[in-house]
Amino acid sequence: MKDERKNILEEAGISVEEALERFMGSETLLEKFLTKFLADPNFEILQTAIKSGDQEAALKASHTLKGVCGNLAMKQLYEKFSDQVSYMRSGNWDEAAEEMAELEGLYEKVCEAIKMTNF
Amino acid sequence: MEAEMRQRGSSNTILIVDDNEINRDILEAIFSSEYQTEKAEDGKEGLDKLLAHPDSIAALLLDIVMPVMDGMEVLRKLYTLGLTETIPVFLITAETEPSTLKEAYSLGVMDVIRKPVVPYVVRRRINSVVELFRARKSLADQVEEQRNKILHQAQQIIDLNMGMIEALSTAIEFRSGESGAHVRRLHDITKHMLTHTALGEGLDRETIEHISLAAIMHDVGKIAIPDAILNKPGRLTPEEFEVMKTHTVQGCHLLEQIPQMKELAAFDYAYDIARHHHERWDGRGYPDGLKGDEISIWSQIVSLADVYDALVSKRVYKDAYGAEQALKMIQEGQCGVFNPQLLELFVREEKKFRSLYQR
Repeated sequence: MKDERKNILEEAGISVEEALERFMGSETLLEKFLTKFLADPNFEILQTAIKSGDQEAALKASHTLKGVCGNLAMKQLYEKFSDQVSYMRSGNWDEAAEEMAELEGLYEKVCEAIKMTNF
Repeated sequence: MEAEMRQRGSSNTILIVDDNEINRDILEAIFSSEYQTEKAEDGKEGLDKLLAHPDSIAALLLDIVMPVMDGMEVLRKLYTLGLTETIPVFLITAETEPSTLKEAYSLGVMDVIRKPVVPYVVRRRINSVVELFRARKSLADQVEEQRNKILHQAQQIIDLNMGMIEALSTAIEFRSGESGAHVRRLHDITKHMLTHTALGEGLDRETIEHISLAAIMHDVGKIAIPDAILNKPGRLTPEEFEVMKTHTVQGCHLLEQIPQMKELAAFDYAYDIARHHHERWDGRGYPDGLKGDEISIWSQIVSLADVYDALVSKRVYKDAYGAEQALKMIQEGQCGVFNPQLLELFVREEKKFRSLYQR
């Protein structure tokens, strides 16, 4: 992967080396899933569910995103989603909702970076 | 069976069950160079795929949180079916609730691997366990193979014993112009009477086998009888008959002198039958003049079968009688007195023995 693209992704919080290692060095696979990340509806589902108080849907979406971000080595997002899932599991829904502001910022940043490096 | 074993030995598929595409693809990328991989998107599909060909699965990688049927449910099912014994199951999960992990391990999970996975760690941990299962399996196959070999050899020894005993008995009968068919028929009739009538009550299958084998040796003592008497075409003089009668006791001496014979489970029966197959129910037989129940039931059966066989066969001193005629002579007491119950059962079964003579 070209340094330029790698830098953009790294700056947005994606640990490219770690992600590549997880995909057994396959840039094709990494690119496939970065592209898929943009189309993944789970973040919107999470936002809507939090607003409407649909706890089950919220937990499911947050859990899925946590997994995806972990695999794609999106460090901060992964940690934030992990925190959120724990809050939800232990019934701290207010705190889970409070995470949203920061999550939206990080999510936006990652999506922008992926779009910039996509061709 | 060997082909089946080889196929089982080649269980080389890693079954990946995860509802998330990224997880499936990552695990596939990790293992596809060494294994076949198969993927399923939920627990139900995974379970179906596994059950379709459990023998080809080298390991099951199972996510916990999934729609339709979650990983724990799959695991419980596999545990119930006993499959966690033969297929190593790994939970690949972000879930680390202590109670869940505890249940998973108690259901036979080999390892729990945290998501997001680190490839070389997953690979290492799964490969070790797959190797362990393969080694265990191959050892079990070897033990099974050896067990079959030993069973086969044991059967060969039994067959050889039987063959040697038949050979010995036939060689002796041969002197009096008999073929091996006579001892064979006595074996078959004795076995039939003990298996299909009340006479064999309380005797297990193995014991009946031993007794029937022993029946073959009833006349081995005839080896000690001179040709002139054994093959005399006419009637024996009283002196000659006394000599002839000794074949019973001589048979016992012979059997006793073969050390390996004494080790045989059939020995006691053989000894008893050789000695007492000329005793009669009324005590007028020989050599001991036993009467009634003093004579063992197997000796009684062999003596009746021996008489019947002698009557319906051609001998140096007589022609063959028809089966009906032979039965009539026996029932009239022309060949000595037999146990009435035995006689009744023998008459009942006798038609089945006629095929033994049609050759």
